[in-house]
Amino acid sequence: MRIVIEVDGVSKAFGPLPALREVSFSVPTGSVCGLLGHNGAGKTTIVKILSTLLEPTTGKAVVAGFDVVADADQVRQSIGVTGQDAALDGSLTGRENLVLFGRLRGLKRKQAGVRADELIERFDLVDAADREVCTYSGGMRRRVDIAVSLIVPPKVLFLDEPTTGLDPRSRRDVWTLVASLAAQDVTVLLTTQYLEEADVLSDSIVILDAGRVIASGTAEELKRRMGHSYCQVTPLHPEDLVRVASVLGGYEGAEVDAAANTVSVPAPHGVTTLGEVFRKLEELGVELMDISLRKPSLDEVFLHLTGPTLTV
Amino acid sequence: MTALVALTERQVRASVRNLDIVFAVLVPVLTFVGFTIGLRNVIDTGGISYPQYVLPAVVVQAMLFGALNTTDLAAQEKASEFGVRLRTFPISVYSPMMARMLYCLIRGALALIAAFAVAYPFGFRMDGGPGFGAMFVVLSLTLTLALSFGAEATGTRAKRSDTSSQLLLIPQLLLVLLSTGMAPVESFPTWVQPFVEYQPISQITETLRGFASGHVEGTNLTITLVWCLGLLVGLGYLAIQGQGRQRGRRG
Repeated sequence: MRIVIEVDGVSKAFGPLPALREVSFSVPTGSVCGLLGHNGAGKTTIVKILSTLLEPTTGKAVVAGFDVVADADQVRQSIGVTGQDAALDGSLTGRENLVLFGRLRGLKRKQAGVRADELIERFDLVDAADREVCTYSGGMRRRVDIAVSLIVPPKVLFLDEPTTGLDPRSRRDVWTLVASLAAQDVTVLLTTQYLEEADVLSDSIVILDAGRVIASGTAEELKRRMGHSYCQVTPLHPEDLVRVASVLGGYEGAEVDAAANTVSVPAPHGVTTLGEVFRKLEELGVELMDISLRKPSLDEVFLHLTGPTLTV
Repeated sequence: MTALVALTERQVRASVRNLDIVFAVLVPVLTFVGFTIGLRNVIDTGGISYPQYVLPAVVVQAMLFGALNTTDLAAQEKASEFGVRLRTFPISVYSPMMARMLYCLIRGALALIAAFAVAYPFGFRMDGGPGFGAMFVVLSLTLTLALSFGAEATGTRAKRSDTSSQLLLIPQLLLVLLSTGMAPVESFPTWVQPFVEYQPISQITETLRGFASGHVEGTNLTITLVWCLGLLVGLGYLAIQGQGRQRGRRG
């Protein structure tokens, strides 16, 4: 497999503040790489560097075979970028935005029009295409925004938190879209705060914390390292929480969240662990509101990877 | 080149929707009618008729307004995600600015047409003929371009995008009020007369009057050309300096 994004020891400082520290990773052609991390972890800074909006303080980054500093013009020919907020002209219609950006990518007016119509069809925007973008819902705007990034199919597509602020349905739509892109040989680098999103969409995941890469690998590899799902119990009566906690205290890594009225225990054996927990609570005679298996939260993953001594 | 055309088209389209283009036409029409009806029997303009005297000032005012508009366009684009996206596109970093300048010229041309159209029935005549008429147009558009560069330079450096054109409102007002545009220099207090006489708006207005009547005074023409060239180069330099792909340089 050929490597299309190569980040090698990139650091970036804003004044005295280090935003990225010695970040290295690579992404093979036609795959989806998820950059996972909290706000302020440095995800957007990486996207800005790779899309030629910022220069790294030290280190080297190559996109589609071109250095992002020395060959920035060629990099811009090869990429599409969709940021956290819609980067569209609100006073133009969806179609006009698509045609405008198509022409800025070097298409003739007519070609741009044909291409815009294709994308309008594919992104399910036919009804809205001739309305001004400022009247669109958040989900529609995001779709147009991604369509703009694809007006001339890029080698690399950067999606910076593509589902932030979207309702669940629109989020699903974006997911389907991203999955279909990888099938067309577009390499996607997406950033997200949601473990689930990175898990569903990405072939490989890079986890960032405070500007450093703390783990990377395929989703499967990471999940093995992150361990396990959690079995989460919510008693019907909050006053039972203490009893539940004491019964489940025997599990290593059990956590009590009094505010949410839940107790979580690691469930390395999935449903078997859940059954075990359920039986124990039945013996105790506690009424339950909910018992379920859930994926580890990002906080739990970070704790797991960085160790409990580090605060995240 | 395609990028420049596409971006200019976008600006024109937006201005039709947000009615900026209507203001471009209305400002010279309303100021001309207002001044002519209100002041034609009040101010002594020497030998020439008031419409003939005031039209160049109305044009200069319209050119100033048009240029001022660039401040907001530049500031908004600088602050918007749209502007950020443009910087990731394979186009010249100067294309968006050049599109704003072109739009300003188009706006200026429309304002000129409107000004002539309204002034003609009131008795304004281009007595100098088509040659001087052409020079009148070129000088007006040069003025709006030069000031638009200044507005661009201000807009791209403004901290807030919503109020940036206000920054230039005071210098603009001062230049217009303290000029020979609306009233002759003798009607000002003695102590401001030197400023009133030699500042660019007065000199350029005077030259435009000369072009309209068909005879321009040499000293005045020289001062006007120096002002125009100076403003064009100086403000153009500042505008170009403000263009860059990166919001924060490495530091």
